[in-house]
Amino acid sequence: MGLDRRGFVKFVVGGVAGTLFTPVIWQGLDDASIWSQNWGWIPRVPKGEVKTKSALSKLCPSGCAVKVKVIEGKPFAAVGNAANPMSKGGVCPICAGGAQLLYSPARVKSPMKKVGEGKFEAIKWEDAEALLVEKLTPLKGQEGKIAAISGDETGSANEVLSALLSGLGNAGGFAVMPGEMYTATRGVKLMGGNGQPGFDIEGADLVLMIGADALDSWGTSVANLKAFAASHPTGGAATAQYIYAGPTLNNTASVCDKWLAVPPTATATFSLALAHALIEAGAVSSAADFAEYKALAAKAAAGFEAATGLKAEALKELAAKIKAAKAPLVVAGASFGQGAGALDFVAAASLNVLLGRVGQKGGMTVLGAAPKAIASAADRENAKDAASLLAQVATGKAAPAALLIYEANPAYALPQAAEMAKAMGNIAFKVSFSTYMDETAALADLILPAPHPYERYDDAMNPYGVAKATYLAGKPVLKQPVLDVKDPVDVLLAAAGKLGLSLGFETYADVIKAKAKALGADFDALAAGGIWNGEPKGGALSLGAGALAKAAPAAADEKAVALAPVTRLAYGSATLATPPANLLNVRDTELKGKDLFVQLNAATAKKLGVAEGNKVKLSAGGAEVKALVHVNEGVAANTAAILLGFGRSAWDEFTKGKGDNVYKILTVSDEAGTGLKVWAGSTVTVAKV
Amino acid sequence: MKAKEFNIKWGMVIDLDKCTGCGACMTACQVENNIAPMVDASNKLRTLSWMLVYELSNKKAAPDAEIAYLPRPCMQCGNPACVPVCPVVATDKNEEGGIVSQIYPRCIGCRYCMAACPYHARYFNWEDPVFPKGMEKALSPNTSARPRGVVEKCNFCHTRLMKAKDKARQEGGNPEALADGAYMPACVEVCPTGAITFGDLKNPEHKVHELAKNENAFRLLEKLGLAPQVYYMSKREWVRKLGDNYAATGKAGAAKKHS
Ligand code: SF4
Ligand code: SF4
Repeated sequence: MGLDRRGFVKFVVGGVAGTLFTPVIWQGLDDASIWSQNWGWIPRVPKGEVKTKSALSKLCPSGCAVKVKVIEGKPFAAVGNAANPMSKGGVCPICAGGAQLLYSPARVKSPMKKVGEGKFEAIKWEDAEALLVEKLTPLKGQEGKIAAISGDETGSANEVLSALLSGLGNAGGFAVMPGEMYTATRGVKLMGGNGQPGFDIEGADLVLMIGADALDSWGTSVANLKAFAASHPTGGAATAQYIYAGPTLNNTASVCDKWLAVPPTATATFSLALAHALIEAGAVSSAADFAEYKALAAKAAAGFEAATGLKAEALKELAAKIKAAKAPLVVAGASFGQGAGALDFVAAASLNVLLGRVGQKGGMTVLGAAPKAIASAADRENAKDAASLLAQVATGKAAPAALLIYEANPAYALPQAAEMAKAMGNIAFKVSFSTYMDETAALADLILPAPHPYERYDDAMNPYGVAKATYLAGKPVLKQPVLDVKDPVDVLLAAAGKLGLSLGFETYADVIKAKAKALGADFDALAAGGIWNGEPKGGALSLGAGALAKAAPAAADEKAVALAPVTRLAYGSATLATPPANLLNVRDTELKGKDLFVQLNAATAKKLGVAEGNKVKLSAGGAEVKALVHVNEGVAANTAAILLGFGRSAWDEFTKGKGDNVYKILTVSDEAGTGLKVWAGSTVTVAKV
Repeated sequence: MKAKEFNIKWGMVIDLDKCTGCGACMTACQVENNIAPMVDASNKLRTLSWMLVYELSNKKAAPDAEIAYLPRPCMQCGNPACVPVCPVVATDKNEEGGIVSQIYPRCIGCRYCMAACPYHARYFNWEDPVFPKGMEKALSPNTSARPRGVVEKCNFCHTRLMKAKDKARQEGGNPEALADGAYMPACVEVCPTGAITFGDLKNPEHKVHELAKNENAFRLLEKLGLAPQVYYMSKREWVRKLGDNYAATGKAGAAKKHS
């Protein structure tokens, strides 16, 4: 038996007690301990000069402009790029660990072909690309046979995908994963406008966030945090108030002046009841639909207390604060960034119209359409939503034979996830362009590994939330990728060529450079961390009363509670499972071992007959999620809050099998009057097991 | 007890009203200090978190509940509880700047210091660090990896101090009078809201000098007399009360003498 470290400790402690004050012994111990720690398998750290390189780190949904620290040619850390006017030197908790994700155990290491249920075989790139072309060739020109799902909200890759599909006679096959951009743009349409809404948080002196977790997981969170920080100088007086109205006392609410606990089923009611309080306090609007709106607001106010569990007094106080502010802004969004439908958006955004804040400094803006690099690409807002596409596939209404999946994880991150994954089984040939072995890649017939952000060209047009048109671009930090990967867009452009279709570009880098040129921006300056901005726009918007009038009131179900999925940026996103380094951030009241916790306030727990530590199941739509109860007063009335993003079945040992996938119990319904699929107001039943 | 005094006193003032608990500081700390990720990071008795963000609650029922996040590095106490208990002088407060050192090759893993530190800022390596295959290629040059059996803790990214001093020397400046911001730990550098202000508490040209005297500033467990070099501040009274546990004066967050 060798003398291991603990044995050594026992020996030393036993052997030298009482003589510790003899310097000679100290010296002896010191040397012995140095000797004992000369372990060969402890990794050596690199030495040499540290260099920094700019990158666009699209690991988080909005993308961070970062400076990557590199030693011996290898990235090891990332910090914010102070030269970038959007993130102003800030970085999010995901992008801060970007270098480590280069070596994530979940990365797809080479192209892979499915050879059996859950079995893959590594193949060469040339074979993989030939297979892609072989499968697409017979489908060319057959409408409805090829579809694509993109999980990237901002990249020009979407233009390539969309143009490729229309070139192959499948213009209607382009779908996007759910996100705020999609529903909010439709919401703006319902208010008579056109374009993506923006919010000038920086310029506002009162920021009311309804649902939107704007200081953590929503929108351009780093830019939002910088705006918050600027208005809250350390040691000085704050120059802006921040108020959060949403289902949980989340990271955003933790620093707000006030948190209003609003269950996710009552978001629109809250907004309209606030409109009523503002109108009572004298607010008027010249919008043509004001009279109709006023009546709707009064109706909502009548049901406010029952729907939210809050006192009407809270609204009066809030209305008074808003009236007193010079530049109030209402930021509208779903508390977990998706599924809210257009009407929740309209109800919240209409407050900006009512307050005359559209197009004003510190107000709400509407961004015009951005110029395209590829003329035949469809406008982003005309894409289908992936949940609708797969719902159609499930019922046979749509029958694509090939599905291209770009940076998206529809088998995991769509509501009623189990059904969505099943629907994918109806599609004969699925290609996943993915950096990581996610749940969708695990179901694909062909996996084509995509590069990590430090290994690729990429861009970001109008990340959701920005107040004025914004464009960012980046180029690779590494000369050579660390794995056998290829840029998906390069692969698609080459495949297009072989299918007899020219999109005018050979590489993604060329597409991005053309996009920059179309905007009148300098690509090199952008790649160094610069930014291109357009002018902020306003535009006349209505109050959306016509659309709001059609909203069906949520049917009250005595037994069910509202489900509030919780997102924390540090824990990952729809396209990224919790990075290994970030697992440490997850609290042991959120996840313990393999168990997730469902957070209930004491009153709700009592009503449901459950107590701290009880094992429960949350059921909805034929699916269930198991969890332990944690009583937490930071949750709205009659609401069950639970982390989204766990319960992975693919990825790596750090995430696989931990907790349960809450997407499974998000139930989709059709929004009255808009035809959109919505699931932010999902309810669940909670029962002890 | 009298706190050890130095001409320079590196310290932090953490504005708890600006910390959203995003965790970027924890991630950056792990990256800078080569802390290997753990498969079961929910076992908080085993994890190594030199920087740990605590969640504080005002303990009120919804909807009046409030929370605050409190990032906790090592306080680099003026009067460190950990130092005198170390049988082998593996940890000491003996360098200009006041950073409490931890010399891994000397540490015998007896963990007396862990028991002594009231801030739970010390961690024991129960296992050798295991990085997922390949991830050792992304190690930071700034901190050596530690073997199992030794205690470790935050050292205000001490290598950065060395580098800042070297840089000052090269540029003909005074390494003993670094400009505000010339040296900052990784957590300070990444925090997206700038919640952590860092500098020499004794240098009037450094922001922390004034901030530490702010009426809303306090130190954790002031009454223990460990004289931490990390200050916190909050306009919320309940946060100050929780943080200093009704400090010496009996009044929450009351201004304290600052040396
Ligand atoms: S916080 Fe703990 S480890 Fe750090 S100096 Fe003080 S007593 Fe020592
Ligand atoms: S990085 Fe800053 S805001 Fe985020 S948890 Fe750390 S101290 Fe708080």
